Amino acid sequence: MWLSIAYRNLFRNLRRTIAILMTVGIGSGALFAFSGFINGILNEYRETTIHSHYGYGQIHTKGYRDTAFEDPTKHWVADWPYLSLFLANQKNVKEVFPRASFSALLKKGNTTVSGHGEGIEGEREADFFSSLNIEEGETLRDQPRGILLGKGLAAALNVHPGDSVTVIATSARSILNDQKFTVTGIFHTGNANFDKGVFRIPLKEAQKLLKTNHIESVSLGLYQLSDWEGIAKEIQERFPNLEATAFDELDKIYYKHSVDWLNAQFGVVLCIILGIVLLGIFNSVSSSILERKQEIGNLRANGESVLEVMRLIIAEGTLLAFFGSVIGITVSYVFLMGFINGALEMPPGPGQTRQFLVTFSFTWPIVLKTIAYNTFTALIASFLAGIKIARMPIAKALRSS
Amino acid sequence: MLGKEKIPAIRNLNFEIPSSTLVAISGPSGSGKSTLLNLLGLIEPVQEGSLMFQEEQINRMNETRKNEIRKNEIGFIFQQFHLMPVLTAEENIRYFLSKQKRSKNEIDERTDEALQLVGLWEHRKKKPSELSGGQKQRVAIARAIAKKPQVLIADEPTASLDQKTGREIMEILARMGSVILTTHDPMVQSFATIHYHLVDGQLAGIG
Repeated sequence: MWLSIAYRNLFRNLRRTIAILMTVGIGSGALFAFSGFINGILNEYRETTIHSHYGYGQIHTKGYRDTAFEDPTKHWVADWPYLSLFLANQKNVKEVFPRASFSALLKKGNTTVSGHGEGIEGEREADFFSSLNIEEGETLRDQPRGILLGKGLAAALNVHPGDSVTVIATSARSILNDQKFTVTGIFHTGNANFDKGVFRIPLKEAQKLLKTNHIESVSLGLYQLSDWEGIAKEIQERFPNLEATAFDELDKIYYKHSVDWLNAQFGVVLCIILGIVLLGIFNSVSSSILERKQEIGNLRANGESVLEVMRLIIAEGTLLAFFGSVIGITVSYVFLMGFINGALEMPPGPGQTRQFLVTFSFTWPIVLKTIAYNTFTALIASFLAGIKIARMPIAKALRSS
Repeated sequence: MLGKEKIPAIRNLNFEIPSSTLVAISGPSGSGKSTLLNLLGLIEPVQEGSLMFQEEQINRMNETRKNEIRKNEIGFIFQQFHLMPVLTAEENIRYFLSKQKRSKNEIDERTDEALQLVGLWEHRKKKPSELSGGQKQRVAIARAIAKKPQVLIADEPTASLDQKTGREIMEILARMGSVILTTHDPMVQSFATIHYHLVDGQLAGIG
């Protein structure tokens, strides 16, 4: 019955209730929208990172990523056919992308620039790595001796699709090898550093240049992100000399730091919004309780404990927060979906060269978290507002006007 | 307390209230009658002296025990009624019965009985704002008696009512067993079995 009383008390002063519902509603609507926005950016970052370069994760030989070797190819994955067979039998693995990366010089006429080469199986990668934006020409598929250049690299060499470029690399035996390639396309990912240094050629051609039949790494395409943990564990158990690293760890500088930065930003905004909600509810509940001192005195006189009175007060604040949150979330959702189609064009982020579209990404956990944050804040605000009156001597409460 | 000076509200008061009596406490404003009533109702702490409720020393009770006694053994009737405005007459009674952890049937029975006793059965679905002063006081009485307390404590229960309604209320209270009330009204005093008159916190007369 106390919950029913708490609910009915909300309608005692409708104007005040509407004011507090609006405060909570605006707060929770803003929090909900901001959560969806941050979630959208994180999704965008994650998808870009996965589908432009790393896949869901990569497999290397153990310790390879953390050590500088005089001849890295000696530490590449030697038994690729066996690993390939194992991965093909894993039900969570959708695709595998063997790669060989190396440093090289690219020459066009009198211009020579250094670059970071990636030998890939073009046909296999073309569809999965869809975040690689082809600005000119076409992506690398099965064109013999085709080369796909990053935008900055192509600009430095002043080449366009159809032009020839010579790639010079040092083989495993420290012999300089060179090979001519035809530019198939020019890409950009939005990451300036990546775009000005990376080029891609067929894996077999890279192995020829480097005089090796090993591969440096295997990127994995999975059905869903949550499959990574399981497959990484399987690999670790089956191949103790290999290690599997998730995409966020591989791209720590860009992805993980961006995520941490956005989450920290979210934390600050969260504190500001909840501070406003706390003050709003505190103010409203305080005035409501001050008007009801005698009523509270009567409850206490009839044997209700301080805790029971506080339960009623906190229930009122919590109900206000709950209804305010639901209203705020609904209005915010309708507004964002109805007026801006749930997406916002953003200027280039730090280290980026292109604008990107952020789609507000709302999930049930965001809805529940928004309600929970507000409800918890209301609980604290109501407690702070109510405790003094609930503990007031009964006779004094009954005498008050 | 008056400024920094400590002034006792009740002094040299020593009496026993037998059960099943209607005790009226009268006196001019500031004579200490409300303080005495609050002490007897366990809603004001005893600072000096001793106060017994049945066989128990109130001074030594913790707050939980006092809550229990106020919940189950004492019924309060206030001059300002103090009904919960969001509840109907019936719900105002039921609410405090539910706090006594009674079964639903018992709560229903006691509520109906109390409403009939104060003649408010047909108004049971009305909220306090829809009731007259006399009707509100009847609800307050019904709320107090439905608890079946050992003692009813009433602070000037007829002060907000006209003479006729006040008499009707007193006729109800006179049937209630142990009642302690404060009053200025000679009509109310005429219903009392024992009448204490206080002046300056001291007993000035017993009638």
